[in-house]
Amino acid sequence: MDFKKETRILYCWIAQIGNLLLRSLWRLIHVIINLCYLTLGIAKAFESYLISWGILRRYKSLQVAKLRYLAIVVESKDACQTSKIIELLQWLADVGVKHVCLYDMEGILKKSKDFILEELDGAILFGEAYENNEIPDQAQMTLEFASFSDGKEAVAKAANVLFMKYLKSGATDQNQEEAIFTESQMAEALKTVGSGGPEPDLLLVYGPARCHLGFPAWRMRYTEIIHMGPLKSMKYGSLIKAIYKFTMVRQNYGK
Amino acid sequence: MHFSLQFSLPPVITALSPRSKSFSHQPHHHRIKKLTSHVPKSPLCSTTECALIHQCKEEEEEAFDGRVEDQTLPLGLRPEALPRHVAVIMDGNRRWARLRDLPVGSGYEAGVRSLRKIVELCCEWGIKVLSVFAFSSDNWFRPKVEVEFLMSLFERGMQEDTGIFLRENIRISVIGDLARLPEALQELIINLEEATKNNARFQLIVAVSYSGHYDVVQACQRLALKAKCGLIEPSDINESLIEQELVTKCTEFPYPDLLIRTSGEFRVSNFMLWQLAYAELFFAQSLWPDFGEAEFLKALLAFQKRQRRYGG
Repeated sequence: MDFKKETRILYCWIAQIGNLLLRSLWRLIHVIINLCYLTLGIAKAFESYLISWGILRRYKSLQVAKLRYLAIVVESKDACQTSKIIELLQWLADVGVKHVCLYDMEGILKKSKDFILEELDGAILFGEAYENNEIPDQAQMTLEFASFSDGKEAVAKAANVLFMKYLKSGATDQNQEEAIFTESQMAEALKTVGSGGPEPDLLLVYGPARCHLGFPAWRMRYTEIIHMGPLKSMKYGSLIKAIYKFTMVRQNYGK
Repeated sequence: MHFSLQFSLPPVITALSPRSKSFSHQPHHHRIKKLTSHVPKSPLCSTTECALIHQCKEEEEEAFDGRVEDQTLPLGLRPEALPRHVAVIMDGNRRWARLRDLPVGSGYEAGVRSLRKIVELCCEWGIKVLSVFAFSSDNWFRPKVEVEFLMSLFERGMQEDTGIFLRENIRISVIGDLARLPEALQELIINLEEATKNNARFQLIVAVSYSGHYDVVQACQRLALKAKCGLIEPSDINESLIEQELVTKCTEFPYPDLLIRTSGEFRVSNFMLWQLAYAELFFAQSLWPDFGEAEFLKALLAFQKRQRRYGG
């Protein structure tokens, strides 16, 4: 009996020591991983500065023409930082990006659109220039402002438009399997309700999470999505790198 | 023997037994126990020794009374923060084959093996739903020989794995424009879905001939037909009703928490456009046949680390 008790005590002591060793090892692993991430972060920041100063040659000549339409997603709480948004747009204008869609879920950017347009010399609203589903070719920068209401809510409104047309057409009883609506009809209906912008080639997400926060789903089929980190830490070099990476992408579109 | 942990460290393994490599036999699970320790730091006195022994004994008994959660999670993964629904775009099979001078078909077969592994891991780790983008509506434009090979691969895979799905309590759902599939495959799908519809441990959703645009349009179409029949009012058509008609209505958790795309591409390629509004996006560099446990774990850890605010 005593022997069993002694054995138990011994095991518990061994457990304690093992516990301490495991805990130390865990902490050590954490430290190593944090150091790795820190090193990576420093390297990325350094690379970003090198790109900004024009030292890295390959980023000097961007084929910006490939980027016909750019979308930027920001969190609504960051959307209030209008100065940051304007700075970002000025960087894009300097690089030669012509057409930009700004999105935040709550529509804060929509409320600031007049101020933003005023601060950016010569920029106009995209809707004024977008006709016949063609992205206009012009010198001025065009800006589109979108929010959650242009996403799922707009699809619901477009569904209503399609339904009304379907009723008016007087179509007789249809089998549920037969297509009465097509994708192009939906695209037209979205345009009718004012949410029919082009599909962005590239979407930059500024925020803590790699998530597009409800950007109009209909327009994101083949959009490249790059997470840029928080808006407050945005860097010119990172922006150039993201655009450069996009210009190097080759899409098969499933074929 | 087991370890009592004082700090919020990950759960530890309390028993050592070999992990199963496949679904072919009953797996031995590691018993993982989430513990909070009451072990004092000071050297043990006799009273404390007794308390410690008593606690050790209690915890051992508790480990075998069936109330302890039985999950086989790698260290670092928090079970309460696992995604319920993971979506995967299985990209890179053809590139994988080309890099090895193999025919494209070998790439797809390797992709199936990779899928089986991920399904096993999801079952082991307690993820409830896995959606995989197997064949998009754009893929119909691929060479006919390749498309036919893929269709036969789907058929073969489903036939071969039916026993496993039934034994492992896995529910299978196939979403997409299935009318374009060969009739034999359509029939097999219907039978397999019916046979597994009551399985509740894990759901595998396979998207075949699927596109996000198609999904939204067919949902709107269903609603229009319902409105025409007087089942709903036209004014009732809203986002919520559309969501209920999407093809992902086959699952309790229609919105992926995490999307993984392999092969280093940074886009969703017309997959679950509506459903991915708040999904965490993880773009893995490896090609799909090479995507294994380590990368999957990395994706899950990244998911658990990120702050998700659902737009708030």
